[in-house]
Amino acid sequence: MQAARLPHPGPATEAPQAQPRPEPLLELRAINKTFGAVAALSGLQASIAPGEFVTVVGPSGCGKSTLFNIVAGLEEPDAGGILRFEGKSCHAADLLGRVSFMPQRDLLFPWRNVVDNAILALEVEGMPRDQARAKALKMLPEFGLAGFEKQYPNQLSGGMRQRVALMRTFLFERNLMLLDEPFGALDALTRAMMQRWLLDVWQKYRRTILFITHDVDEAIFLGDRVLVMTARPGSVKLEQAVDLPRPRRPDIVTSSEFVRLKRTLLDAIEEESMKSFQSSIAQEKPQ
Amino acid sequence: MSSPAATSLSEAAAAARSITMPDSLRKLIRLMLGLAIAAVIWEGAVLLFGIRPYYLPRLSTILMAMAATPRAYIDGFLRTLAETLIGFASGGAFGVLMGIVFFRVRALREMIFPIFVVSQTIPVIAFGALVVLWFGNTLLAKAIIAFYLTFFPVTVNTLLGLETVDPKQVALMRSFGASNRQLLLRLQLPTALPQIFVALRLAASLSLVGAIVGEWFGDTTGLGVLLLQAMFTENVVAIWGALLAAALLGTGFYAVVAAVERRLVFWSAEQ
Repeated sequence: MQAARLPHPGPATEAPQAQPRPEPLLELRAINKTFGAVAALSGLQASIAPGEFVTVVGPSGCGKSTLFNIVAGLEEPDAGGILRFEGKSCHAADLLGRVSFMPQRDLLFPWRNVVDNAILALEVEGMPRDQARAKALKMLPEFGLAGFEKQYPNQLSGGMRQRVALMRTFLFERNLMLLDEPFGALDALTRAMMQRWLLDVWQKYRRTILFITHDVDEAIFLGDRVLVMTARPGSVKLEQAVDLPRPRRPDIVTSSEFVRLKRTLLDAIEEESMKSFQSSIAQEKPQ
Repeated sequence: MSSPAATSLSEAAAAARSITMPDSLRKLIRLMLGLAIAAVIWEGAVLLFGIRPYYLPRLSTILMAMAATPRAYIDGFLRTLAETLIGFASGGAFGVLMGIVFFRVRALREMIFPIFVVSQTIPVIAFGALVVLWFGNTLLAKAIIAFYLTFFPVTVNTLLGLETVDPKQVALMRSFGASNRQLLLRLQLPTALPQIFVALRLAASLSLVGAIVGEWFGDTTGLGVLLLQAMFTENVVAIWGALLAAALLGTGFYAVVAAVERRLVFWSAEQ
């Protein structure tokens, strides 16, 4: 990837696509990733515009987590793929510290209280603790954590722990936020509340979000666009724009437009799930 | 800023504190009561069954003998305490350091760790003879024997603790752009702390053993010296006196380490 290292004159002079859309914040082209004999991703292509909320659904084991680890900078794709961030080609490792990443589990540190967990990323960046704490304290009410700043993670409910983890992600102010099934472990009611709350917060801060989920309803309810991934080796099977009006109300899930979208997406996922199911039945036959 | 949630929380915390205070006091009273009962049983059993003082003297006799020559016991206690503390502190620090080094540098671990293991198979008596040859009958010699007994369990447990770090948490820290140093100080060492304290509690007892064994190679003050002198003169009461003083030192030191652990590793006890 020699070209990746060349300096670029700037985003304005580059117009890779003849689309009216603004230049994508993140662009992935022909991304492959193999682990030994297993191909996790193959020819994956996606782009995310600034301020967009993109959700990703797919059968289990489709390489969603691999995709995430690449965008978070934790894993390097195979040579030959193109990765562009903020208009510049880069290696995945260059994304470390430039994307705010929230993994599936909250991963809170049990020896840190709510505020100190929330400021973890700021501390790593070198912001003085007092300043970081003051910043976090101002954000607490918005995350439904007012009055809980001195509590430790083992004193909090699952939903609250998840909000602390989200706050930690929000305080690490980066243009792109990666959320990997953040509500997967929550009960249905808490999950619905958190979805609505996330939309409110997103509308206020307008960060770009890439959100992985298993749940088609969640993908449609939250996203501007839904990417359906294929069975392993993963690539994008379907890109579905969601033109539901915002702000979205909870009862939107029963609207005919929502149901129509859901049917399209479910069909696509079903097809891929069958494929991955059959290939797993065929005893890991080489793909 | 006094939202209702905040005030009710601080009230709850205050209430919790006022409950735990007498709770710890009650625990202390119970402990004292237990000790008193044990003392009464000791004293009573000796009188009741007519146990000869050669096997078990009365507790009161021992305590009176100690009170008659307090200087020897106090000096011995302080001297042994100093040896124990120096050995414990250096062994603990060295153990944590080596645990981190072995965790970070695999090659060093494969080269040096086996030597550590071999060193621990040498009986402490043999090792003690060498140390006294090298350093003479100094306080340093005893501290080195205490060090010899303590550094290994601390090294092993530090390494074990560091290896329990969740790779997902490491990935999270790296995604924030954390350096290796930040990773160590903010994640790996705190994660290993409960495991390190398991070893430190063990090291508290072992360092006392090291100090006392060290004194047996020759010295003029120390609880080990008192014990040895009493054995040579078959002074049973003095043996018991030295034993009680050593028990007091060992228990006290262990309790201090355990108390520090409860303060520092508050989260693992609550889970």
